Amino acid sequence: MTTLEGFLIALAKTVVIFLGVVNVAALMTLAERKFSAWMQYRIGPNRVGPYGLLQPLADGVKFIFKEELTPAGANRFMFRAAPILAALPSMMTIAVIPFAPDIVIGGKNFGALTIADLDIGILYILALGGLAIYGVILGGWASNSKYSLLGSLRASAQMISYELTLILTILSVVVMSGSLNLREIVEAQSDITRWNAWNVHAMPQFVAFVLFVVATFAETNRHPFDFSECEPELVGGFHTEYSAMKWAMFYIGEYSAMTVMAALTVVLFLGGWSVPFWPDAPWYVGLAAMLAKTGCFLFLFLWVRWTLPRFRFDQLMRLGWKVFLPLALLNLVVTGAVVSLR
Amino acid sequence: MVIVKRKELSLAEKLYLPEVLRGLSVTFRKMFEPKVTRQYPEEPLPKTEVTRGQPRLVVNEDDAIACVSCGLCEAACPAYAITIDGGETDRAIEREPKRFDIDMLRCILCGFCEEACPKDAIYMSDELELADYSREALIYDIEKLKRPKAALQKRIDYVNRINKRWQTPSST
Amino acid sequence: MVKITVNGRVVDADPTKPLIKACHDNDVDVPMYCYHPGLSPVGSCRICQVEVKQGEAPGRVVVACRTQPAEGMVVDTESPKAHATRRECLEFLLKNHPLDCPICDKAGECDLQDFTYEEGQAQGRSHEPRRPLEKRKSLGEVIVLDEERCILCSRCVRFFEEVPKKAQLTVSDLGSRSVISTFMDRPLSGNYQGNIADLCPVGALTLKKFRFQARVWNLVKMASTCVECSRGCSIQVETLRGSDVKRFRPRPNEQVNGWWMCDHGRFAFDHANAAGRLEGARMLEGTQLVQTPIEEALCAVRDALMGSKGGLVVLSPFCTVEEGRALRELAQRHQAEIAYVSPPPSALKDELLHTGDPCPNRRGLEELGIRGEAGETLTARLAAAKVGLIAGERVVELLGPERVRELPGTLALFAFECHPVASRALRAEVGIANHVERTGTVVNVDGIRGPLAAAKPAPRGVRALERHLQDLARLSPRRETAVR
Repeated sequence: MTTLEGFLIALAKTVVIFLGVVNVAALMTLAERKFSAWMQYRIGPNRVGPYGLLQPLADGVKFIFKEELTPAGANRFMFRAAPILAALPSMMTIAVIPFAPDIVIGGKNFGALTIADLDIGILYILALGGLAIYGVILGGWASNSKYSLLGSLRASAQMISYELTLILTILSVVVMSGSLNLREIVEAQSDITRWNAWNVHAMPQFVAFVLFVVATFAETNRHPFDFSECEPELVGGFHTEYSAMKWAMFYIGEYSAMTVMAALTVVLFLGGWSVPFWPDAPWYVGLAAMLAKTGCFLFLFLWVRWTLPRFRFDQLMRLGWKVFLPLALLNLVVTGAVVSLR
Repeated sequence: MVIVKRKELSLAEKLYLPEVLRGLSVTFRKMFEPKVTRQYPEEPLPKTEVTRGQPRLVVNEDDAIACVSCGLCEAACPAYAITIDGGETDRAIEREPKRFDIDMLRCILCGFCEEACPKDAIYMSDELELADYSREALIYDIEKLKRPKAALQKRIDYVNRINKRWQTPSST
Repeated sequence: MVKITVNGRVVDADPTKPLIKACHDNDVDVPMYCYHPGLSPVGSCRICQVEVKQGEAPGRVVVACRTQPAEGMVVDTESPKAHATRRECLEFLLKNHPLDCPICDKAGECDLQDFTYEEGQAQGRSHEPRRPLEKRKSLGEVIVLDEERCILCSRCVRFFEEVPKKAQLTVSDLGSRSVISTFMDRPLSGNYQGNIADLCPVGALTLKKFRFQARVWNLVKMASTCVECSRGCSIQVETLRGSDVKRFRPRPNEQVNGWWMCDHGRFAFDHANAAGRLEGARMLEGTQLVQTPIEEALCAVRDALMGSKGGLVVLSPFCTVEEGRALRELAQRHQAEIAYVSPPPSALKDELLHTGDPCPNRRGLEELGIRGEAGETLTARLAAAKVGLIAGERVVELLGPERVRELPGTLALFAFECHPVASRALRAEVGIANHVERTGTVVNVDGIRGPLAAAKPAPRGVRALERHLQDLARLSPRRETAVR
């Protein structure tokens, strides 16, 4: 394989994955409205295109043509930078997620479907995921509005609390798999003949799975933990003063973060591309399995949003520090014990 | 003083997760139930004789407007939506409106004008749709408000029926 | 003065005046149609009946307008007996009165309507048709008569007999065919016809100019003074929706005009409503008049007046006392001469109200020491002067538009006028409010002060002359400084 060939392959993968994520984020806005409508006996958007499928496109056009407002007294530079800071990290984290095993077309192996097969993939994700909060904090602060500031304060407190749980649960997975490379974590779970191949039913990772999923909700500021927006109390939270494309950037950020988190859950706990009862499935079946699993988790995000009421902020903090953190620590200790006794 | 006794929670409820799952199952089931959305422009709202839409002026069978511009609807209008200027005509009833404007953006469809009218000249039609590109276009003038009596007959009959309940014979 | 008891209250009454006047003077409401304080009582409508409990006819119901108060009389206007009698009279009057209120111009200020509403006469017992009569009978240039509505109170008949002292109307025919008509069907004449429309307690007599123009409850009414002659009748200016003046009506004022006003003043609102007003300020630039900020035009006036000695300030006699005083100060500050235009008397002069002098504030300006001069004299003086300032409503009209146009270019003419001024000498003109748009005082021929009221807003960018003069005073250095 020449250098040029390698470069072109990497470029193709980048384009495919990046466009995929952006499109999924756009479609999620439609899915959000459709599912919420169905749960409320409504039909949802159905005017633009067949079944309203072109609604995200129409929304995009609308966002581009809307008036951009900058509040008086806002820090202009930060006010503009914040939406970019919010959208960028979640798009960058997608780079290390492996979507499919080695792609083999016509006997030629193009490597796994991932942009960067990093040995420290998990560290990369955690580092960039931590950056995403800056967009929210800066956006809230730069708006020069009390609602925005309160929203971003809440977001920061919430992220710090739940990032701990998130990291500790991931750590137990790392202990199980013995690697920080996401592809290797998937491969460690792909011995599908074992009943407990996937981390989710490998003793004792079910607890970690539940904790992780709940923590992703908090990490992406989704219901029932969307305290940084919290319409009834804070108008629109950190994005109260944002409009048009700047506001849309926050939304793209939120939905692509959801996508990444859903994919990460699948990779860490549900065996990534591995297909139950078909150990040597071809790569495209693996890709389909990965996408289907991710889709299920994306649906869970929506499903929970339109089911559960919002927590109170003190409840959220109590849950994070007094329940999740001890449970995650305990889980790590037990995992360590199990692994060392194996 | 009222002491509210909170229900003692069971273990499953305290754990929260089973209750979350129960809630999720409810919303999931609801997704497949029949929808109540009305596809508005294709499926218009049902209109009955009681429908109180935008006010319209009656034009009698002899093509003369029933309004004599007495100004009682103008005075009754709580939203100050009506403006009338009168003028003289050669008909037996000497007076008719030269200008009769209803600002549809102000109109709140309350029906006070219909009630105030001593000449049965203004009725709440069943027309409900209101959209245009400018505010000026939504200030309806007399030509936009005129409707033949036949078009409003359903509402006229309804109002007469309701009024009969308390009407007494009068020498007028 | 005698003491009588009205509704349990002891009041003073003038025995030479009817009982109804004593009641009204003491805020006791007694309805009336045929009675009018300015006319002789006849007692034809019978609506003012009250019960006299004690007095010349105890326990009887009498007509208050034809009964004279006597010492010790006890009157009850609200007794069941009085009410019952009045209701019967009312029903009788309504027998032939058409239900025209939605069409009738009087609705809203109609005595018959008000009292019917008060007494709750919603139903009649008669099933016979009403008498059909002529609904649109023209009585000359000013008045339309609706015979069906007439209740034959004969106020209009008595008005012509007693006020202009020239009978023109009468009740003709008999019984149910009685109608009001002029002698030999000749149209009404004279300068006081409009008053009978005010007098009419129902909508039978209406003004042609006001017919169907507005509903009276939509009119905003302001107490003001008529400026069409030096009598200065007290009037009420009635405007519709803050724009057009719809009518002038007399306001009772025993010192000046009683209850009346002349038709000349009554229909003079064309002046007030005239279109083509001068808005903002215009200045000469090259050969063109261009719109400029008012401040700039005022500066030009100040500069011109300061730069020359012997300017001439010409006032309109329509200027109020306040404006006259401000203009006199302006003239003194710049050592300019001052005079007002004094047009020749008009032919409208009569014995009753009209003085024939078209200057409403002649006396007020004379009291300020400003002299009046004829239009020709003043234009001649202006033509000789270097700087001229003409100020006030209708000043160009009174100077003579032709003469003003022909003023020589050697004169720098500045104008404060309601309408654009055409003159070769014009350097700048500023729009001002007219007499229904500004407040002020005028002094009538007898020295009685009358207020002007701002009954409607001035057009956009137009302010009262007084405001401009205040600004000008602020701009001008005081005289001492100028000398130094």
